[in-house]
Amino acid sequence: MGAKIYKEPILKNPVLLCGWPGIGNIGITAIETLKRTVEAEELGEIEPWDFFYPHKVVIENGLLKDLEFPKNKFYFKKQEKSDLIFFIANEQPADVKGGYASGKKAYDIANLVLDIGLKFGCQRVYTSGAAVAQIHHTAKPRVWAVPNSAELIDELRNYKNTVFMSDIEGRRGQGTISGLNGLMLGIAQKRGLEAICLMGEIPYYLQWIPLPYPKASQSVLEVLTRILNIRMDFTLFNQYVERIEKNVEQLISTFLESLPENIRERVEAGIEDLKGKPAPLGPITDAEVKWFKEHGDKFLKEFFEKSDEENERPL
Amino acid sequence: MKDLFRFTRKPDLENVSLIVGWERDAGGVATRVIDYIIKSIKGKSFYEIEPVDFFQLGGVEVDNDVAQFSGNRFFAGEMKDLVIFMGNQPHFNHFKFLNVILDVAQYHCRIKELYTISATVSSIPFDSPRQILAVYNTQEFQNNLRNYGLTDMTWQGPPALNSFLLFTAQTRHIPGVSLWPEIPFYLATVDDYRAQKSTLEFLNNRFNLNIGLDTLDETIRRQSSEIQKLRKQDPRVDHYMKLIDNNINLSQEDTIDLANKVSQFLFSK
Repeated sequence: MGAKIYKEPILKNPVLLCGWPGIGNIGITAIETLKRTVEAEELGEIEPWDFFYPHKVVIENGLLKDLEFPKNKFYFKKQEKSDLIFFIANEQPADVKGGYASGKKAYDIANLVLDIGLKFGCQRVYTSGAAVAQIHHTAKPRVWAVPNSAELIDELRNYKNTVFMSDIEGRRGQGTISGLNGLMLGIAQKRGLEAICLMGEIPYYLQWIPLPYPKASQSVLEVLTRILNIRMDFTLFNQYVERIEKNVEQLISTFLESLPENIRERVEAGIEDLKGKPAPLGPITDAEVKWFKEHGDKFLKEFFEKSDEENERPL
Repeated sequence: MKDLFRFTRKPDLENVSLIVGWERDAGGVATRVIDYIIKSIKGKSFYEIEPVDFFQLGGVEVDNDVAQFSGNRFFAGEMKDLVIFMGNQPHFNHFKFLNVILDVAQYHCRIKELYTISATVSSIPFDSPRQILAVYNTQEFQNNLRNYGLTDMTWQGPPALNSFLLFTAQTRHIPGVSLWPEIPFYLATVDDYRAQKSTLEFLNNRFNLNIGLDTLDETIRRQSSEIQKLRKQDPRVDHYMKLIDNNINLSQEDTIDLANKVSQFLFSK
């Protein structure tokens, strides 16, 4: 169980930025985009076999040519003030397949990532993910900031569009951060490192839909680039956001059409209610949420099959 | 620290080949073939991998009306050069599990070659000869097995546990081959005796096992006659099988229908 480091650069006050898949791929999209923007170089990788099951085998003329594992790579970029180290993972390790990172494997990989960060002198870690919120999909997502030390709160308050759990109605400053995003904050705290999780808001009715939600990644990126003093041209990213937004609109209207009439009316009203403001869950009941979960897979399968036929696959 | 495997006796071994199979495989190929070999060599278990790090252990599975607790055992018998591993595929920590198998094989049995048995489902007539597709982890080993009638496989996709094992063996410089006899998809949940026989024929040749196959021939004849009976009884089955005979692919629904009809009929016998 270990990591392979390709280079030994001398880094100046580096910060570690971690991204992995999750709801709407908000965190990984933000971190990956930042990595590409600064043109970070490869630094190393985590040896995957202890953490992941391979996802592809390549056999040619009877010979085992390759076994591909999910990628988990480190990158670095020298900057004027603080240098950057990125850790980008294609999968979160879990003891039980299909879930968020959990159990011993998640604990071990989080420690391994921090080991590499510490080796290069990191004292601060950023993670990023999704904050499932009562917002409309046309609203600009805010960024929920959760630090692992109270001393970081004042610093984070300076950044526009960030909120804390205590700012969210009904939360009283409490909540849960699942998977590696949460685990990293805790383990970093245990090891004496500062860590901050930045979570872009995603409408709660989109959390089960396997579409990226780059609009929230954009909000995270805006905060991160200000914190790190990085200039970023958002032109291309905005085009991506607009393209996905069209798919979201199409998906929502097709989804609504597929609902039984009595549920549809209330869901439409509930979504409409959220326009332009954070709002309570309103008319959507727990039973209806359960109904979405149970019927969601069938709906999505049909939606994507139809899109395939029209050669307009939204993903 | 607890041991990951339990040693019950130390067999006398030399120049060992390890044959690996997993329970509940398609067509019962690995299960039956390994049963035949263990009986033939009068094999007895000598190592057992402890399940606690690899299985959920939330209860027991029931198979053929009998509760089955995950067993992962190594067997050795009268042949000094053959060790068998029969087990259940782990629920988690796959890499660690495969390394435990190879640790036992490499450091306690000093194996020189690895063979794994699986099956690959295909749309073929039930009475067609079963070719064995093969995947090797070294070119040299592929050349060594050139004259055994195996067919080289070319494929890309999600890996089975045996491919992961072959890869792990490669990292330890253990030459290995995965055997993938073709079986008709509608025999995947029951026994495919033809695939079992072709696999046994290969192993008989390779290891001079001298396993008699007359009983298996008789079972194959019986299964063929049962399937012919089903074709006469059920025109849909006959229609599907005619399409397969003519190399025409069935729709997804027809594939499921045929598989259900055949497995239910044969199971009821």
